[in-house]
Amino acid sequence: MSLEDFANTLATTSLAETLTDSTWLFGAVEAVHVMALTLVFGSIALVDLRLIGLVQQHRDADRLVRQVLPLTWAGFVLAAITGTTLIFANPQGYFANTFFRVKILALALAGLNVLVFHYVVQPRATAGGATAQRVSATISLALWLTIITCGRWIGFTI
Amino acid sequence: MTTLHDFAVWLAHSPVNTAVTAQAWLVPEIQIVHIVAIAAVVIAATLINLRALGVVETDQPQHVVAQAWTRVIGIAIVVLAATGFLLVASEPGRALFRTVFWVKLGLIVAALAVTAAQARTGPVPTTASRLLAIGSLLLWIGIIFAGRWIAYAEGWPGAFS
Repeated sequence: MSLEDFANTLATTSLAETLTDSTWLFGAVEAVHVMALTLVFGSIALVDLRLIGLVQQHRDADRLVRQVLPLTWAGFVLAAITGTTLIFANPQGYFANTFFRVKILALALAGLNVLVFHYVVQPRATAGGATAQRVSATISLALWLTIITCGRWIGFTI
Repeated sequence: MTTLHDFAVWLAHSPVNTAVTAQAWLVPEIQIVHIVAIAAVVIAATLINLRALGVVETDQPQHVVAQAWTRVIGIAIVVLAATGFLLVASEPGRALFRTVFWVKLGLIVAALAVTAAQARTGPVPTTASRLLAIGSLLLWIGIIFAGRWIAYAEGWPGAFS
């Protein structure tokens, strides 16, 4: 099954029909998506800026991560659910949209960066490991800004 | 309505409007800055409110968390007001003539009042600081919803476009 076929299949579901019929429903899902993504980005940016050493230096980095991680997870789950739902409103349009594709790629890379941070960088964190943490945090910020930028640009190019 | 109409006409012919509509990519990029500033408010308000509710940062006194993060909200609000003004200026016939935009402004005034009160809370959560926390959460959620809704709302009859 090609990507186009998959998009066409999604477009014929009852969810797709409900979303295309009702403007207010799409807008509501979109609004929840905005709330969720701002929580994700805000919490990740806070941790990244701390790891780079620009904010909250008086707080232990590991402790901050532990406090904020549940917020990031909750936001991400909500963003993923609402984001996936939004796709059903116009699957063919989104799959063919360059900004959508770059956004999905950037999300995958951001996920990979998280795994690398937790399983490679953080376990080796010593005074000398600070550079690796800073690099990981900078990459994270760059990726998430890309994700937000692409996300907004989908709306202008779909 | 006429004063508002006059203001919209003036804004549509202002140098600000010319500047932000000069390139197609400007409005989307301004919106992105607006969204990043929203994220700052959301994480700041979440930390203040969850501290008041005893969920996060419980090793820090409430007022330390509140004061640090209300400061962040203050800075973010300036960015939001500036980018918000530019967005209104880019299309004066849109936001100014939709009820939900004015609802949003009202909610923002309320949210700022709540935030100012939170900056003056004590080291330990009280019923008052918990109520402020719930109020804050509801207000900021409402503001985000209202903000997104501007794009979907119907304009007032006879509105400027």
